Amino acid sequence: MKLAVFVSDYRVNVDTLERLNPEKLGIIFVQNGVYHATVKENGNSSSLLKKSANHYVLLDDLDTRGLGNSDVADNVKLVTYGDIVDLIFNEYDKTAWL
Amino acid sequence: MATTKLGFIVQRPPYKSENPKLALTHAIASQSVEVYLNDGDIVTADIAFVGDGVLNCKKDQKAMDLYKLTSTETHVKMALLLDLNVLVCKEDLDRFGLTENDIVLNAEEFGAEMTVKVVPFAEITKMMEGVNHLLFF
Repeated sequence: MKLAVFVSDYRVNVDTLERLNPEKLGIIFVQNGVYHATVKENGNSSSLLKKSANHYVLLDDLDTRGLGNSDVADNVKLVTYGDIVDLIFNEYDKTAWL
Repeated sequence: MATTKLGFIVQRPPYKSENPKLALTHAIASQSVEVYLNDGDIVTADIAFVGDGVLNCKKDQKAMDLYKLTSTETHVKMALLLDLNVLVCKEDLDRFGLTENDIVLNAEEFGAEMTVKVVPFAEITKMMEGVNHLLFF
């Protein structure tokens, strides 16, 4: 299964994402999920960035929060709403929202 | 003649919910209740950003450009314009690797004289001890 998971919160209270192991995994950070792509707490990046996956972050939601391209971790790709539509239709079979 | 002191504690990041912005709008609205009070009675409001709440203070928020929303940054500036005491926890800023350069510190463009104060959590604790009512958001 090729699965795209939307992460929209900074504090994720469920461990579902840790347990998922699809053939292809995309993690799309939106809304307050964008902090996973940018913030280093006590110098440490989000554990979600260590997961074997393609990581994406929505540019509009970064800008909304006063964050910029330079804040984003190297292994996270900046995407627009249009790019996310393309990912859903072309790259992944299923989507989930955590 | 009496003073009622309110303390608003913002502990969640912005935008995912209205919660942090409600703290600011409530604090701002508290300054318009004078018409219901006796002469000489006043209400003061202090606002403290702690934990993930310090992320509300990031500057250069573009919520209006992108989502037609008044940014939380602008709400902080409105609070300063009303001379509300706005505190930001230094330890939590440090935890996120943020400095005073990364956050909104003043609202000079609106003519506000108050500035945001970055303080240790101990000072926020003192504020909490000194108010009559504490409201957590």
